[in-house]
Amino acid sequence: MKKKTASSVSKAPCGAGKAAPEGASIETDPAYPPVVSYTLKNGLKLLILEKHFVPTVSFTMIFKVGNVDGEQGKTGLAHLFEHMAFKGTKTINSAGYEKEKPALDRVEKAAQALIAEEASASPAPKKLKTLRAALAAAEKEADALVVKDEYLKIYTTLGESGMNAMTSTDYTGYVVSLPSNRLEAWMVIESDRFKNAVLREFYRERSVVMEERRMGEAEPGRVMWETLSANAFTTHPYRNPTIGWMEDIKRLTRTDAEAFFRDYYVPNNATLAVVGDVEPAEVVSLAEKYFGDWKGRPLPERAYPAEPPQKAEKVINIPFKAQPALRIGFHNPGMGHPDIYAIVMACEVLSNGKTGRFYKNLVEGRALALHAGAYASYPGNRYPSLTVIAAAPKAPHTAEELDAALMAEIGTLQKEPPTQWELDKILNNYEAEMIKQLESNSGLGMNLAQNEQLMGDWRYDWKFGEELRKVRPEEISMAAAKYFTRGNRTVVFLKEPR
Amino acid sequence: MSFPGSSNFAMPAAMPKLGGVDFKPPHGTRAVLGNGLVVYLLKDGTLPVIHLTAYIRTGKLNDPIEKIGLGEMTAGLLKDGGTLKYKPEEIDRKLEFLAASVESSMGLEEGRADLTCLKKDLDAVLDIFADVLMNPAFDRAKVKLRRDEMLELVRRRNDEPGRAVVREALRAFYGPSHPYGWRSEEATLNAIAVKDLKAYHANYYKPNNIILAAAGDFGSDEELLARLEARFGAWPRGEVKFPVIPPVRLKGERQVFHVEKDAAQTYIVMLQRGLKRHDPLEYPLTIANEILGGGLSSRLASEVRSRLGLAYTVYSYSVKKPDYGYSLAYCGTNPETCGQALSEILRQYELLSREEAPPEEVKRARDSIVNSFVFRFPTPFELITERASYEYHGYGAGYLDAYIGNLSKVSPAAVLETCGKLFRPEKAMLFVIGNSKKFDKPLSEFGTVTELKED
Repeated sequence: MKKKTASSVSKAPCGAGKAAPEGASIETDPAYPPVVSYTLKNGLKLLILEKHFVPTVSFTMIFKVGNVDGEQGKTGLAHLFEHMAFKGTKTINSAGYEKEKPALDRVEKAAQALIAEEASASPAPKKLKTLRAALAAAEKEADALVVKDEYLKIYTTLGESGMNAMTSTDYTGYVVSLPSNRLEAWMVIESDRFKNAVLREFYRERSVVMEERRMGEAEPGRVMWETLSANAFTTHPYRNPTIGWMEDIKRLTRTDAEAFFRDYYVPNNATLAVVGDVEPAEVVSLAEKYFGDWKGRPLPERAYPAEPPQKAEKVINIPFKAQPALRIGFHNPGMGHPDIYAIVMACEVLSNGKTGRFYKNLVEGRALALHAGAYASYPGNRYPSLTVIAAAPKAPHTAEELDAALMAEIGTLQKEPPTQWELDKILNNYEAEMIKQLESNSGLGMNLAQNEQLMGDWRYDWKFGEELRKVRPEEISMAAAKYFTRGNRTVVFLKEPR
Repeated sequence: MSFPGSSNFAMPAAMPKLGGVDFKPPHGTRAVLGNGLVVYLLKDGTLPVIHLTAYIRTGKLNDPIEKIGLGEMTAGLLKDGGTLKYKPEEIDRKLEFLAASVESSMGLEEGRADLTCLKKDLDAVLDIFADVLMNPAFDRAKVKLRRDEMLELVRRRNDEPGRAVVREALRAFYGPSHPYGWRSEEATLNAIAVKDLKAYHANYYKPNNIILAAAGDFGSDEELLARLEARFGAWPRGEVKFPVIPPVRLKGERQVFHVEKDAAQTYIVMLQRGLKRHDPLEYPLTIANEILGGGLSSRLASEVRSRLGLAYTVYSYSVKKPDYGYSLAYCGTNPETCGQALSEILRQYELLSREEAPPEEVKRARDSIVNSFVFRFPTPFELITERASYEYHGYGAGYLDAYIGNLSKVSPAAVLETCGKLFRPEKAMLFVIGNSKKFDKPLSEFGTVTELKED
């Protein structure tokens, strides 16, 4: 992947005929939106795009840290931390941090004692009860020093929209949109949030996350996705679900989360996109003012064991009280490999719209499927991943019949290259999507920040489109033949227990 | 006693002085074609894209009871079933090649048809859109395909209990034979014939029964109106026959429904009578819901989620309808904490309807809505669609522009009075899907339980 260098081309005219702020560069190629780029000395990257229909602005802060960066036995830590990032700082949510800190430390000590007993070979029920009571007492004491939900209340008052955060296996993102005259307010709060986070109310938030996990366990779709990655990967950490395994979540501590925060929440691991009714020069100067003293630090080594080639087909059956469905995952070579463009085109040939082959031949035609779609890359893009087919049969047809029909469609594509009409349609759709994505401030902010921080260039999607144009029909068949094979696949069937 | 969510909070010391948010949403243009078709327009040349949506005055609530699903099937086949001018395959190929979309759907209270295309393709796509609305052909093979799909969705409707619980709770609340509560069944879908689809279309899809909204890079208003006139101008107006919707009859006393299901989480829905659409109590009720279950700092989230750690998802909202709407609270929790969560939700409703919320909390709720008002219109298309929807739902011309003023007047006393009137938690209906063997308290502690089977 390409490493982006700090840009320093200045004073280039932008689309609106304005100059870029000092030290910033502005995109002037009409193939791209006129994004202003700026990098702080501590490594924090800024991307700014002006849009003025309504007086609002959308902020997206992306950190290149996700579940893939978690340690063995501590899956779910990236996600749990994301929840903790709403719990305030030394000054927000606190009635006085000097008094609160020792109280929080007593909570931590009590929690660790409880976790140690729970994890022991034979936990003693009486001791567990005592330890739980001790934790509850410590939490109560600490709670008295909390200004409950202050961080959230501040944003509510400011008139936030879409305040949220998301963790994937690859990244963690924090998003909010505000009326545009709250630009500086955002800078004040968020710089404090990432410089001075305090992980209070940790163990109750951990319970909230356990509920989030239970919610997923009740949904057949999520159960299938989790089972697919857990079985397709044996070695690479993409095998672990982002929310974490329940047994791991139960053992996560505030101390773990603080170490994680220290290691990965540094400016040189982040990109901030600001899209909306703003002046780039003002964004830059406020970012310098509030984020400038955020200390950068070298990131931990991130060389994870590569997934070895799969040796044989894997078939997993999940008994679940729901109608049948399936997932098929094929290992792909990753977004950095030149074959990925042909793989993406193959997915589109199979499942782009009602003229796509799955719909035309399996939903209509043979009337086997309720739906069937192909997805180029799951669960992530940072490392070689899976290309997935997700589908559900229409009764009386079974998941196995549908699986056979899906593989037959793939077989046809492996033998006969797609038509030029199919390719042109896909490229037209890609191009139109690139235009339509400019409509939403928050959606665009997410796209720019993610591509910059994870793929090394906010223009990634536009450049990807250029690569797709170069793919020849026979290369699509070759990629299908190379990757969509029996030996390279993991199939998950979900069916009612007999 | 301390109120939840009422603890003081303060802006950070470094915070700059905050001004108000003053946004007056543009009005766009309203025009009426000779045949009664109402058109809202808002030109926006930022991107070479055009969006258009049509509100067709009907909805799932107009289905005949023995053919529930008729409106949805009709809408779903307007495009997919082909038209007088275009075969189904032709439409799909043409639209998908142009990366354009024409879709139509049926909500409870409105039919919709949407168009999105690039500027350069407007004429071609508008031709299809117009023929889809005026001259659908309901190709038999496509009708079978759509019916089979809807039947499959009936078979799958209980796969996700977290979703099913809302539908089933409303069904129990309004009764399975009232349009606000009913659902399609295998028998009602199988009873729908092609002639029913044609008759449904012929009755409701008339120019004088449609409001259209458009935004994007369409040139001048006159240019777009001329294009619409060319396609729709000769479409004759006509009388629309609407069925009589039976009045809502609610029990108004505590009922507890339970569906046994061994799922990892248990799902709780609580329902109480809400408001009719144009009741001015909507302003205090909106504030009350914001305080109670409107966001992560609301009382329900703060207590059930954050302080007690019982749920990831917990919220409340109210829905207005032509007849009585409803107020709903939702929670997903560990079966072992079902009773605890339920008690806490009930307690929060009681508290809000018994004790006046602190002025600071009411102000925060008002600020939240007033300051985020602008986000209802993130794009010109969403703005003009919202304007069209107000006319559709019969709001006065000034409704949207007076909305903020009306909300700003709501006092803590008005919130209390409204909650006292509308929230009667002791009489609320409770609907639970979950594994009762693991419940911390039997549901019978909350009232007489009616056991239902998942179907």
